[in-house]
Amino acid sequence: MTRPKKRRPVAPDRQRLKTLLAGENRAIKLASYMTAASALLWLPQAAVVAGVFARLLTGEGGVTVLTGVIAFLGFAALRLMLNYLAEGLLFRAGQNIVTRTRQEILVREANSLGTSPLGGPGALAALAGEKLDALLPYITRYAPAQTRVMTVPFAILAIAFWQSWAVGLVFVIAGPLIPVFMALVGYAAKEASERQMQEIGSLGDLLVDRLAALADIRLLGAAPRLIERFEQAADDLRDRTMAVLRIAFLSSTVLELFAALGVAMVAVWVGFSLLGELSWGAYGGGITPWGGIFLLLLAPDYFQPLRDLSAAWHDKAAALAVAGELDAWQAHEAETLLGTGDKVAPLAGPARIRTSGLSVTRGSRVIAYPDADILPGARVALSGPSGAGKTTLLRVLAGLERPSRGAVEVAGQALSDDTADAWRARLGWMPQAPMFLGRSLRHNIAFGAPLSADLISDAALKQVLAALPKGDLTVLGETGGGLSGGEARRVMLARALAARPDVVLADEPTADLDHETADRVTEALLALADRGATLIVATHDARLIARMDQVIEIAPEGGRAHG
Amino acid sequence: MAKLWHIFCLMMRGERRSLLRGLALSALVLIMGASLLGLSGWFIVAASAAGLAGVGAVFDVFRPSAMVRFLAVTRTATRYGERVLTHDATLRALAKLRVTLLAALSTRSHDRLIRLRGAQALNRIVADVDALDGVPLRLFLPLIAGGATQVLALAVLSWLVDWRVAVAVFGIFTLGGLGVVLWGVRGARVPSRRAESAAQAFRARFIDLVSTREDLALYGQLPDQLVACRDAETRRQTAATTTDLRERQAGAALMVVSALAAASALWIGGTLAAAGEITPARAAIGFFTALALMETVAPLRRAVAEIGRMIGAARRVTAQTEMPDLPDALPWPEGPQSLTFSSVTFARGTARPVLSDFNLTVAPGEWVALKGPSGVGKSTVLLLAAGALRQVNGEVCLNDQPVTAFLPGATTLVGQRAALIQGTIAENLRLAAPEATDEALWAALAATALDKVVAGKGGLDARLGPRGAGLSGGETRRLVLARAILRQPSVLLLDEPTEGLDTETSDRVLAGIRAALPEAAVLIAAHRAEEQGAADRILSL
Repeated sequence: MTRPKKRRPVAPDRQRLKTLLAGENRAIKLASYMTAASALLWLPQAAVVAGVFARLLTGEGGVTVLTGVIAFLGFAALRLMLNYLAEGLLFRAGQNIVTRTRQEILVREANSLGTSPLGGPGALAALAGEKLDALLPYITRYAPAQTRVMTVPFAILAIAFWQSWAVGLVFVIAGPLIPVFMALVGYAAKEASERQMQEIGSLGDLLVDRLAALADIRLLGAAPRLIERFEQAADDLRDRTMAVLRIAFLSSTVLELFAALGVAMVAVWVGFSLLGELSWGAYGGGITPWGGIFLLLLAPDYFQPLRDLSAAWHDKAAALAVAGELDAWQAHEAETLLGTGDKVAPLAGPARIRTSGLSVTRGSRVIAYPDADILPGARVALSGPSGAGKTTLLRVLAGLERPSRGAVEVAGQALSDDTADAWRARLGWMPQAPMFLGRSLRHNIAFGAPLSADLISDAALKQVLAALPKGDLTVLGETGGGLSGGEARRVMLARALAARPDVVLADEPTADLDHETADRVTEALLALADRGATLIVATHDARLIARMDQVIEIAPEGGRAHG
Repeated sequence: MAKLWHIFCLMMRGERRSLLRGLALSALVLIMGASLLGLSGWFIVAASAAGLAGVGAVFDVFRPSAMVRFLAVTRTATRYGERVLTHDATLRALAKLRVTLLAALSTRSHDRLIRLRGAQALNRIVADVDALDGVPLRLFLPLIAGGATQVLALAVLSWLVDWRVAVAVFGIFTLGGLGVVLWGVRGARVPSRRAESAAQAFRARFIDLVSTREDLALYGQLPDQLVACRDAETRRQTAATTTDLRERQAGAALMVVSALAAASALWIGGTLAAAGEITPARAAIGFFTALALMETVAPLRRAVAEIGRMIGAARRVTAQTEMPDLPDALPWPEGPQSLTFSSVTFARGTARPVLSDFNLTVAPGEWVALKGPSGVGKSTVLLLAAGALRQVNGEVCLNDQPVTAFLPGATTLVGQRAALIQGTIAENLRLAAPEATDEALWAALAATALDKVVAGKGGLDARLGPRGAGLSGGETRRLVLARAILRQPSVLLLDEPTEGLDTETSDRVLAGIRAALPEAAVLIAAHRAEEQGAADRILSL
């Protein structure tokens, strides 16, 4: 409550929730009315039951037992059918909304770069996964309960006043207390839900990272502390979940209390009236046995829709919390990839690369690059101290980052959203930190194509594959766990070679390698260059630099080129 | 089902008292609900009978009406207590289960651990455990409490109404309820399990997509990974739709069961009352109680929907909570240590030994470099010295104790692939030394020539992205080395420690480490001249 809130005309989370539901509004409305109709059918059903008991008591009028039983079952079947169909409609509507939103997140995240304000992959996966699922109960429970609240109590109230003004009065007084109380609970519930949602996301991020590093964490002797810290985080999450639940339980308890007291008062009044102890509250000759039993059967159902609504209240709070996060996620202007990352026909023309006036902003720091003209088949080393911006330049040349100033020209065309995919179709890429998909090593190298013998020998992978438990079908850890650093790098080399590139961008390709293997990697890269490919490597390795024909010096304060 | 019961018992273990009390309260809520409606029905009908007979003045209205009010209020309070108690106990048990899972994971062999994929392990610890909350809350507690209430209702209705009404209500509810649950479970089990595994596949693929999107874009594979994510989502949706259909059918069937039970109570009781065998008021007890007993079967609907998910999760979680019994380990050794390999042989499975009959002693303060081509076993020697691998033959000792006798972390290994985590630089450093002061952190950073870089990034509180993103390769390396220094290890194992650093920085870093840890026995897997030059002794493998 103490957190400052931005005042906007419409709360962004509410607006977002409305937008989310917009496509399925008709189905949700229809289904909601069907559940209301089903609830209203209890009125005739109860009337029949009251008729049976009235006849048993007075021996005349009312409904016979057999007719009563048949009618009771008939109405039950009708209500059941309505409910069944309505639930189906609601489920489909909810699924459509969740799936559509999930796709939206998927597409946008695929083309974004950098970290999202929500956090890392773990938090994003939590949003796209279980958090989105929290919209479902709102759609299937809250929305129809809202419609029932607007219809069922009024119908029962009318019948109550028709039979007895006293019962009607009890309802009129007890009913409105409920929404007032719920509005109060609502505030607390929403805040608690938001906190819980955040905790779910951060727990995911805490874990996904540390699990991938678990082997090293254990070597540091830090596993017990990790477990301890996780225990705390898990306990926090439990606490916050309990806080949400407690509010939900408390609100439904208070409602139940109102409902129970209301029903008890009706029951007592009806009982006394039937005994003839009370002569007020009804019209004319007091209440009939039928009227009394009927009212008693209806009383709980006067409160039921309100109780359903309150039970679904935390569904609404959860949905709003998710909508709020979605809104924050969408409002963040993520840096986007140039192009779409699709496989397209390669860009035509000789692979000449020219940069002019290029600079990139990194926080408060501006990295200015010397202008470069790299001809097809050139062998270029980007050198400079650690952190000078060598990797960033490779990323800019690959269309993975947009320079803040200046232009890159590739194969005679400006590197832009339109040309980036076609340009990348000509590239081979060796990142400094290898990352592996959760699929076979083979898929990580050639993306589905079989590995040729040439490729395996060029990248010196034979022994690596032989040592893995399932050869090229082994699934490795996210950062290549299961391979040594040098082996992982050779896999990255194999992947670059498999793309049959015209230009290879390699970030520290010989790091983590002994001389012999480093030489083999260097030879494999140079062999590519001999076939006409351009080679651009960011490196410290003097031996590798010596094999290049052009060095671009990147200094923190701006660099210079010499050849 | 046996698996679910096993998990239920596992969850009960720590929370037995709360769960048992919760169970008692659940049953009490159901019993009070049935009593309330039965009593109210009886009260109204009996009152009208008395009114009609003109004996209203002698009818005792006070005790029944007080009872109605009492039941109404206490039932509400009991319900609140039951919900808080069972949910709290369940969530506690789940939190414990998560911790157990993580602890079991951390006892796995090093070889398995390095291939662990974070996203998959996350699925186990988060999604699978989440799925298990239904085991007590929506399966066993409602089943047991509902069953107990039904048995009690059988006895009370036989006594108060008529045995025929009691048997009909009991029979329809128990046979019908169990029948629906079994039928529903049979149909929903497979799709519900599929929906869960598809959801987990989606999560793992989506995490892959986000963390490798640049590489994927470069090779034109981004749309393919998108399709893979979508496939998982489509599979989930199809399976969820099938599950939902079966759940709705089961829900409808449970409503039929309830309607039949109430109708049979009305019919049998009404017929008996019409024949004058019982009073209409007693017939009313039967009917109204049957209406209320609907609550004993209604919660089973959710169990039907979730059973496949629960069984799948229970199976995976059970398999992973089995921990090997580890002998009690010694605490980390204190004081200078010498590291000794005597006739050590190591092989994976039946493969050719990576290392055979290897002997080496590294004295305190001595730096030894291991050199040799890739794959010759340099890293293996370091892993053996770290106790992460176990030799087939021979001994690896710190002074006179085998290194595997100590708790993990007796020696400090800086592997080739640096493991940094999302969080501040201080958090990353304090992974190794939680009590370290800021001054100690800065001193370690200075030793690895990283203090200026960190200061430029905003100091110790500068945040790193997932897996330490935001640092260059060389900076990452130096941060991991600084972290190792913070532990003040007596034995330091470095696997190609200066990779990605220029010569000048390498020399400064190595000198910094030596100055910070004068008494440490240091073993380096080295192929760079700088690293070999820093050693007192070079050993060719």
